[in-house]
Amino acid sequence: MAKTINLTIKIGNLTFKNPVTVASGTFGSKDEYAKYVDYAKLGAIVTKTVTRKPRKGNPMPRIFETPSGMLNAIGLQNKGIDDFIEYKIPYFKKVKTHLIVNIAGESVEDFVYLAKKLDPEKSVSALELNISCPNVKKGLEFCAKPELAYEVVKAVKEATKHPIFTKLSPEAHDFLGVADSTIRAGSDGLSLINTIRGMAVDIEKCKPQIANVFGGLSGPAIRPIALRYLHEVKRRFDIPVMAMGGIMTAQDALEFLITGAHLISVGTANFVNPKATMEILEGIETYMKRKGHQSIDSVRGTLKVKPDSESLLAPAG
Amino acid sequence: MFDETVTILENKKINSEYFRLVITSKRLSRDVSPGQFLNIQIENHQGLLLRRPFSYYRIKGNRIEILYAILGRGTALLADKRPGHLLKALGPLGRPFTQSLKGKRRVLVGGGVGVPPLVFLAERVQKESSTPLLLIGCKSKKEILPKRELAKVKTEVRYATDDGSYGKKGFVTVLLHELLKHENPKSIFIQTCGPTAMMDEVMKIAKEFGVEGEASVEERMACGVGACLGCVVETEEGFKTSCVEGPVFSFGELVHHG
Ligand SMILES: Cc1cc2nc3c(=O)[nH]c(=O)nc-3n(C[C@H](O)[C@H](O)[C@H](O)COP(=O)(O)O)c2cc1C
Ligand code: FES
Repeated sequence: MAKTINLTIKIGNLTFKNPVTVASGTFGSKDEYAKYVDYAKLGAIVTKTVTRKPRKGNPMPRIFETPSGMLNAIGLQNKGIDDFIEYKIPYFKKVKTHLIVNIAGESVEDFVYLAKKLDPEKSVSALELNISCPNVKKGLEFCAKPELAYEVVKAVKEATKHPIFTKLSPEAHDFLGVADSTIRAGSDGLSLINTIRGMAVDIEKCKPQIANVFGGLSGPAIRPIALRYLHEVKRRFDIPVMAMGGIMTAQDALEFLITGAHLISVGTANFVNPKATMEILEGIETYMKRKGHQSIDSVRGTLKVKPDSESLLAPAG
Repeated sequence: MFDETVTILENKKINSEYFRLVITSKRLSRDVSPGQFLNIQIENHQGLLLRRPFSYYRIKGNRIEILYAILGRGTALLADKRPGHLLKALGPLGRPFTQSLKGKRRVLVGGGVGVPPLVFLAERVQKESSTPLLLIGCKSKKEILPKRELAKVKTEVRYATDDGSYGKKGFVTVLLHELLKHENPKSIFIQTCGPTAMMDEVMKIAKEFGVEGEASVEERMACGVGACLGCVVETEEGFKTSCVEGPVFSFGELVHHG
């Protein structure tokens, strides 16, 4: 008899049934993928960003495919927190997995308002603070300076009992400084990485392919960058990370788990293959069996690197 | 809705504009209505990441036909596929065209790859008493849909070509304009699919004459299932997804520049 494999992960008081989650904004806002994926089999569902007021989003065109990736500038289109609590939460109440609600605001006060609104919600397991959306005014502001990141995380921490994942972007100039300050302010975990701004041009119309000019790059194109940032963080801080960026297959997911991620999020891959999460989960189990791992904890952080590797000594940022 | 790996039965150039792609699938050919589409993964490699939406053109049993044109990298790669090659197709997706028009005359206005779903629609509504009128616009005689494609479809076809080499010279909207001048606008219903500029003009004319209708919009898509919000169009009720709430919208719903 094959031994059963233990895929559960503990982060603080939360136990996740497996490491496979979905990235904010790539899995709809409710049941869009329910025909293809049994939501209860996911480690967690991370919602599309919710804001204080409804947001119309950016003008069209909003997406464009680029080599091994895509640009998007959706602009946080969502119906706002009141609609979310009234219509989305009741749906997720019935879904037997963790719900992580991704929130964003233009001010510390917005974040606190959202955190307070969600605090009494029992079906919410954690909050993800999106302080790294490249597609809206002020989206990256809190990620730009360690002091601002500290201030917002601290304020949210005081406003809620839910654990907090803070979502960061490599666009932060002082990335490690921001990571450090969000951890000091009480982040229970980090989500790495949000998209990286890019651009493409229509040479016939001589116009940007994205109406907003810049769009956030996601997909396999950013995977090596995401891995690098994960490693930078794991080398320095003892903090659980929900890792994402171009994870398409189980092999990709394993790169992140081996580098030290607690959880992985599947984003753009959902668009390409609606069943990507389930295939990734199966592939992780197959790998564990082959390698003789009985628990996912024994896979995490098995990366072998020489601590004095030249490139690791270069200044990070 | 199903996601299936399907085998290509045929993939041939049929004139200077269109390629015909034939696949077979029981589940993807059931309960399909004209105006719906398949989101097809052309290659399972990460260089070409996203799927591409393709309208259904014709269904016979389990056999699904699609007419497409080479418009970019994805369709260029698709054109290189041979019978026996595999594709992944997700569908049927989207809100279809209205089929029952309660006695109104159906006028279909199409251009480019917007023509195939209109032909599919004309074929499906054969039993209606009035014959649909199909107005097609293209650059020249070379691009017109081969005659045999329409041989079995009960429809009256009129062409407009940019260079006048076939049918009326000028845009297809000239045909529409002429028609509406002589008909009772209240007795007509327009259904259009094609380049955005053409559809904008169709809607403008429709508004001028007070004619109702529907347009199948063409936006870039990623997921095809309403998850990414990359394909939205502006409607009277705010942004709506063209993959789930469309691609077919009534003229009244769309906030257009007509
Ligand atoms: C269409 C689209 C919409 C997104 N919307 C959000 C969002 O609302 N909030 C957020 O924090 N991240 C959003 N993201 C970023 C993803 O959650 C993720 O961080 C990023 O795409 C990298 O992962 P991937 O390469 O697997 O897609 C979005 C990404 C895409 C492609
Ligand atoms: S293509 Fe993703 S929402 Fe329509």
